[in-house]
Amino acid sequence: MSVSTIAETAGTETSTVAGTPRRRRRSQRLSPLLVAFVLVPFAVESIWVFWPALQGFWFSLTSWDGQTPPEFIGIDNYAELAGDATFRGALVNTVIWLVLFGGLSVVGGFGMALLLQRERRGVGFYRAALFTPVVFSLVVTALVWRVFYQPDGVADQILRAVGLEHLVRAWLADPQTALYAVILPALWRQIGYVMVLFLAGLKAIDPALHEAARVDGANGWQRLWRVTIPQLKGVNAVVLSVIVIDSLRSFDIVWSLTRAGPYHSSELLSTYMYSAAFQSLRLGYASAIAVVIFVLALAVILGYLVRAFREEA
Amino acid sequence: MRKGPPVTDFDPGRRRFLGNLGLAGLGALGAGSLLSACASSASGPAKGDSSGAVTLQSNLSSPQAKTAIEKLIETFNKQGKGTATVNTIASETFRTQLPTYLTSANPPDVYTWYAGSVANDYASKGLLLDVSDVWQGLGEYPQSLRTLSTDATGKQVFVPMTNYWWGFFYRKSNFAKWGVQEPKTWADFLALCETLKGKGVPPIGIGLGDTPWVASAWFDYLNIRINGAPFHRDLLAGRQRFDDPKVKAVFTRWREVLPYFDPKGKAYPFQEATTALLAGKTGMFLIGTFFADAAPKDALGDLDFFRFPIIDPAVPVAEEAPTDGFFASAKTRNPDGTKALLTYFTTAEAQEEYVRSSSGIVLPVHPKAKAADSPLVSKGKAMLASAAELTQFFNRDSSDALQPTADTALTKFMDKPDQIDAILREWQAGAEKVFKG
Repeated sequence: MSVSTIAETAGTETSTVAGTPRRRRRSQRLSPLLVAFVLVPFAVESIWVFWPALQGFWFSLTSWDGQTPPEFIGIDNYAELAGDATFRGALVNTVIWLVLFGGLSVVGGFGMALLLQRERRGVGFYRAALFTPVVFSLVVTALVWRVFYQPDGVADQILRAVGLEHLVRAWLADPQTALYAVILPALWRQIGYVMVLFLAGLKAIDPALHEAARVDGANGWQRLWRVTIPQLKGVNAVVLSVIVIDSLRSFDIVWSLTRAGPYHSSELLSTYMYSAAFQSLRLGYASAIAVVIFVLALAVILGYLVRAFREEA
Repeated sequence: MRKGPPVTDFDPGRRRFLGNLGLAGLGALGAGSLLSACASSASGPAKGDSSGAVTLQSNLSSPQAKTAIEKLIETFNKQGKGTATVNTIASETFRTQLPTYLTSANPPDVYTWYAGSVANDYASKGLLLDVSDVWQGLGEYPQSLRTLSTDATGKQVFVPMTNYWWGFFYRKSNFAKWGVQEPKTWADFLALCETLKGKGVPPIGIGLGDTPWVASAWFDYLNIRINGAPFHRDLLAGRQRFDDPKVKAVFTRWREVLPYFDPKGKAYPFQEATTALLAGKTGMFLIGTFFADAAPKDALGDLDFFRFPIIDPAVPVAEEAPTDGFFASAKTRNPDGTKALLTYFTTAEAQEEYVRSSSGIVLPVHPKAKAADSPLVSKGKAMLASAAELTQFFNRDSSDALQPTADTALTKFMDKPDQIDAILREWQAGAEKVFKG
């Protein structure tokens, strides 16, 4: 999905060219094949995505254990959320996660993309190396990092080797470090992914723009700020959406490394939603958390899109 | 949780599925589809019709237990009293999906599960088949098992097959090397811990990373030793409060031994704590017999255990003896075939066959069935037989939903014992939410 968006947003020229034949086709009768192409996915999507999502909103207004029929309780779930310390902790952790995981993966991914955009000897190797973690399932990633963090594991050995043994601790079991110890492997993976998105964007920038800037006497720094970054506007929207969505749905890595523990210190909204639903069997309450996640994601992304459209208009 | 013959808690397939599908994209959308899948899913592997094969949905997914249950079904099919098929599901998936199985339109007929509150909870929702007929033929079974299998309305809903015990396990060779003996009382136990610590061995092993529920054994045992089993059951059923001074007394005792716990124990799961025990890196380990699944065969002969030390001699001795067995769906299309299968599981022959072909150190519940012939098993059996009361385990005496509240409270206590008052208040608040539903 992200790839096609890049193609659309980055290649503005292509779409203007393609505009002409599209207008001509509109005057003709709609082809049944075209209608089928739109309606069939829409119907499938409705059954598998839209309808359950709407149901989720309804469930958030009920008390439901998954066994007996849901019972309507109004906004009680939301009122409870407001006073739930674990939920507040999860919200704060999710914001930390969004800022650290999101921010650092953009900075890291963009930096790597700039470094690796030029075709040099061996650059493919580095690109592949950075992208490799994306290929692994997050659960596999978690297994590897668990070995890294385990008592007397690689992390501890390195610290001892450089004389920092006072820092050695139970990384995943210490409430002070658990969340950050989980962010690190998530970043390790995400940077490669964001790098690829930015690389695609950088490739789409017309080299003539850089050349013109260079002729006008712009230095490298100016070209980065005045040419490269403004040209990446389309990719930025994609990256932002990916980052926000990935942050809010980050679950598997947290669950497989810490199970949101010890005592909720690495709890995110997503893990709290899972444990409310499938451990406490409070599906109504879990749906309310899901709605909060949805609203958060929508707010961040809509906020960006509205701004982006306003600038264009 | 907390395990018949338990299988590893880690199940990448399911996690990945939930992570990528369930929570994918916009969290709410994904969650909605997942939650409603629970509500509306009518799919089940069962094809019940009144004459067809009975489906057994089994969570016995560890290799030996799986083979054992398959063998039992094979023997049952040969007897000509009916036909059955077995459908093995990874235990963690089974646990989360069990409510879905039971509420689906065409559910599997028979399920492996646990006796006690956890079964009664389903019975109270009308989901379980009345198996009082099966129990009529079980005159030899002790009353305690019958009570355990009876729901609030007085009908039997559960058929037990095996149970196991918890205790402090240790290596005989290591105890001999360190020159120490099994303790009987709390004072002996503290002295033993002090001795081991003096020898540079962390006395008490534990494994709370990934398996924080192991800490509940400490809570259960201290509570039944100090306040007795009836209070413990009332507490877990919501009839007593976690912020009661009697509960605080449990933690005051616990605090006396906190310095003796292996500091690494909070970072690794019980399987690795088992490895640490076997390697002599910890002195002893309070755990259920299922831990032996993670032990190499040659170490088994060197293992021994002692019962949780007596704290107050005036309190009748209770032991944890989690009972595993079966219940059936109220919606089965073939109640006769289902009951025939359940009846088969209650026979001494079936239970002996299961014990023979499974790896775990388990005890058959039929009074005449022979347990495995080993000193360890005889000792465990004798311990349970001499107990005045039996409890199941934290989640089985309450519900799977209450377990996470205990995990949070207990791991936090072990880290920050000074905050015990606040921890107990939070625990009570969390428990009230669960009881309220």
